[in-house]
Formats: sequence, structure tokens, C-alpha cells
Amino acid sequence: MKTRFFIVFLFCASFHIQAQQLNVGIRLQKTQQMYWENGISAQYSFANFKPNRLFVGFDFVTSRLGTAMNSNALKQDSYIFSGSWYFFKNKPFHLIGRLNTGYFNADLEYEIFDDLPSSAFLLAPEIGFNYSPKELPIALNMGLGYYLSMQDENKSPGTLQPMYYHLTMYYKLFNQKK
Amino acid sequence: MKALLRNISICLSILLIVACNATPDITDAMLDGDVIFDPSLYAPEDYLVSAKYPSPTQEDLKKHVLIAAHGYSASTFEWHEFAEWSADSSYRISSVLLDGHGRTYEDFRASKWEDWRAAIIREFELLEDLGYTKISLVGSSTSGALLLELMESGYFNSHIKPKNIFLIDPIVVPTAKLQSLAGIIGPMIVFLEVDQTAEEDKYWYHFRPQETVNELNQVIQKVRKGLEKGVTVPSGTYVKSFHSKNDPTASTTSTVLIYKGLKNSDGSKVDVQLMDSDIHVFTRLSLRPSVSPKELSNQLDAFTQISKRLK
Repeated sequence: MKTRFFIVFLFCASFHIQAQQLNVGIRLQKTQQMYWENGISAQYSFANFKPNRLFVGFDFVTSRLGTAMNSNALKQDSYIFSGSWYFFKNKPFHLIGRLNTGYFNADLEYEIFDDLPSSAFLLAPEIGFNYSPKELPIALNMGLGYYLSMQDENKSPGTLQPMYYHLTMYYKLFNQKK
Repeated sequence: MKALLRNISICLSILLIVACNATPDITDAMLDGDVIFDPSLYAPEDYLVSAKYPSPTQEDLKKHVLIAAHGYSASTFEWHEFAEWSADSSYRISSVLLDGHGRTYEDFRASKWEDWRAAIIREFELLEDLGYTKISLVGSSTSGALLLELMESGYFNSHIKPKNIFLIDPIVVPTAKLQSLAGIIGPMIVFLEVDQTAEEDKYWYHFRPQETVNELNQVIQKVRKGLEKGVTVPSGTYVKSFHSKNDPTASTTSTVLIYKGLKNSDGSKVDVQLMDSDIHVFTRLSLRPSVSPKELSNQLDAFTQISKRLK
């Protein structure tokens, strides 16, 4: 237990040394005409390179925490890496341009569907807004993105639909003043 | 910045106004016009068992009747091959024309998905009222979704139970990714033009009004959500979904969702079969630019399986 705590402490400390800002939170996502897929999100701004301007992030969203919870909807997961650029950095409201890339996988569950497409690489430009009051340790982030088609449509998983919108609520783990 | 936003909004407004005034270039050689209509409108007795035998004998009533319903923007032509193939069979086929279809572009544009469904219900209830007890249904593409919707809404709870329900390339999820955006971009594009041959123009709408794409989206959304909650097949009804492996219109994932969400009354799974095919509605081969032996074999397989259950 002590070892685990120490590792977590070292992990956080290492971020603290390098990061201008580290936000972690939950992400609620709805795809147009398809599922709710919810999950977690983290984003990180470097202390020494475009602090509070450039964020790199990782998101994991899954229908298991959304529409597929207690239903027959397909269980599908998306692992998303992103780079975001925050405009108007000195204001509490920011316009965000973001580029996402990652991997999508749907669990078709049954052997008879093994030949059907169930996974895809993701590439999605996104625009959004961020509200981050300086006096509070929270930030709200809204985004509207579009998955660009990377393969023939009939080779792409059917439940991967292009347009999505999300609301992400971040807790600012630390926010160094520069 | 403000000037840029103002210019963008002006451009979008102009685009919207121009788009809203856009009218398709319909010719008399198209089903969309007011010259060519689906032949079942002129001679329903050639297509509908209820119209051909309005006073059925006891012998008539013993026969199995299959109600065959076509897909979105199509016409009775879609099931013509099966009707011809079944010419010497003991069962009879009612090839229904979905309401709003087979008429003018404006009729199609004004139709709702409930209108499309109404034609299936009308023929089913006419046959039921006439005393038929052996009724089965087959629906291709959108009609597959309409038949699923009938099960999902509990329609058959207060009617005789169909003996069989066959789904051919049913659409629950579209293959075309942009279809999910029809409600957003539809008013700007007004209609979609389909790349099809002049001969196909006589049996399928050449122009698809955005309003009807929205209707299609509405019914498939309803069906998908119903399947997520779970749908039970009427007691005693056999259901099978056939789906092309690489369906370019109705994603094959549709049949995955059907397999997961649709259960027989005893809790067992419904039958599904994936066909080694790249075409949508693989049972219709007439007017295809080329037909491979594999496609012929798929069609024969489905026709044979359906006919065997219509005894």
C-alpha cells in the first residue's frame, strides 16, 4: 500500500515539476444519432512551452458508461489523444481548436460477426469553448467534433458515426502561476 | 473578427435562401415526375391479394400469403423477381407499395414514415379481416425497419401473429456516415441526387427530398432505441434477418443490433445470415449493371429459404 502511495506521489510530483496545468475530469459525450459514451479526460499544459495555450490530452470514452449500460447497445470504447490550442488565454472563456486522434473498438460479441468491421483509427478536428474561472479549481469544456472517414464507409464500424459533442468537467489538480 | 463573423453569416444566409429555393430537375422519364407511376396504383389486383380476391373461398384462405414490402425511395419493382420466381408456388404474394412512394416527388416529399408503414398495416388488416390466418411478411431495407417497428410497438399484440417475418438488408444503422447529419445539413442541400441508370429512374426516385431522409432517420432511431431496450417477437412467429456482409447502404451492424436486441418469445435468439455480397437488397438483381454467380446464388438461397417456410 505504501509503495503504491509512493508511486502515485512520485507520478503527481513529476507532473508538478513539469506541468503548468494538469486537469482531470469526467467527459459526457453524445454522438449525433448514436450513443452516449462517457468516460474520463485529462489534459496537460507544459510549463516551459506555450503554457496555458497548448494542451495535450488523453480521453477514454465508452458506451459501457453510457447507452450500453443495462441495454442491448453495443459496447464500444474510444481511446483519444489530443492537442488543443486555447485562444484568449488571459480570459476565463477560451475558444479551443483541437485535433484528436485515437482508436475505436466495438465489441460485436458473437463469433458470427467476426468478419464485420469493429475497429477504426480516429482522426477528428474539434472546436470548443472552455470556461475556467481563475478563482475556482474547476473548468468546463464543451466541444463539437467530427470523425473524418479514414476508410471505406462499409469497412467502418456502423456505430462509429461522425459528429459528436461533449461536455467535460475538469478539476484543476494544479495550476502553476508563471 | 466581427466583420468576419458578419460575412460568414451573410454567406450562410444566402446559401440557405438559394438552397431552399432549389428544385430538382425532374424529367418525365423519372418516377419522380407526373408521368410514370408505380403500376400497382393502376392495377392493385395484380399486386395485392386483398384486391385480387376480395371474396376469398375456403381454398383461398388456406393459402399462405406473403406481404412483400420494398425499401426507401423504391417501388413494387423491388419484389418483382421474387413474385416471378414464385409464379408456380402454392403461396400468394401481396407486393405493397409504401404510401408516399411510386407517385410524384412532391407526394414523396410530403410523406411521413408512418405513411410508409400504413400500406403494410392496411394490407395485413385487410387479409386478416378476410379470414386469412397464414400471413408472413418480408421487408427489404427500410421496410425491414418498419417491420421491426411493428414488433417494437406491440402492433401484433392485438392482431393475428404472422407466421414469419423476413428481413432483407434491414436498416437500423446507415452505412453512409453523413446520413446522421441530415437534420442539420438537410435544409441546405434540400435533396440528394442518386447516381442510377435511366431504367432504374423508372422504379426508384432519382431525387431524395431531405425531409424523407429525416423521416427515415426518425424510424431507424426509434427501432434502434427499441432494440436497445429489447424487443420480443410475437409468439409463434419465425424471424430471420439476411444481410449483405458489405452492405453499402444499410450497415451490416444493423443485423448485429437486431441479433442482440430482438428475442423470440421463448428468449432464444432470432436467426441471422450474413451473405457474401457487396450490394444492398441482394435479393433484387434485375437492372444491376452486372450480376455475378455469387449474387445469383445468394438470391436463390434467400428465395428458397423464404418459400420453404410458406407452406
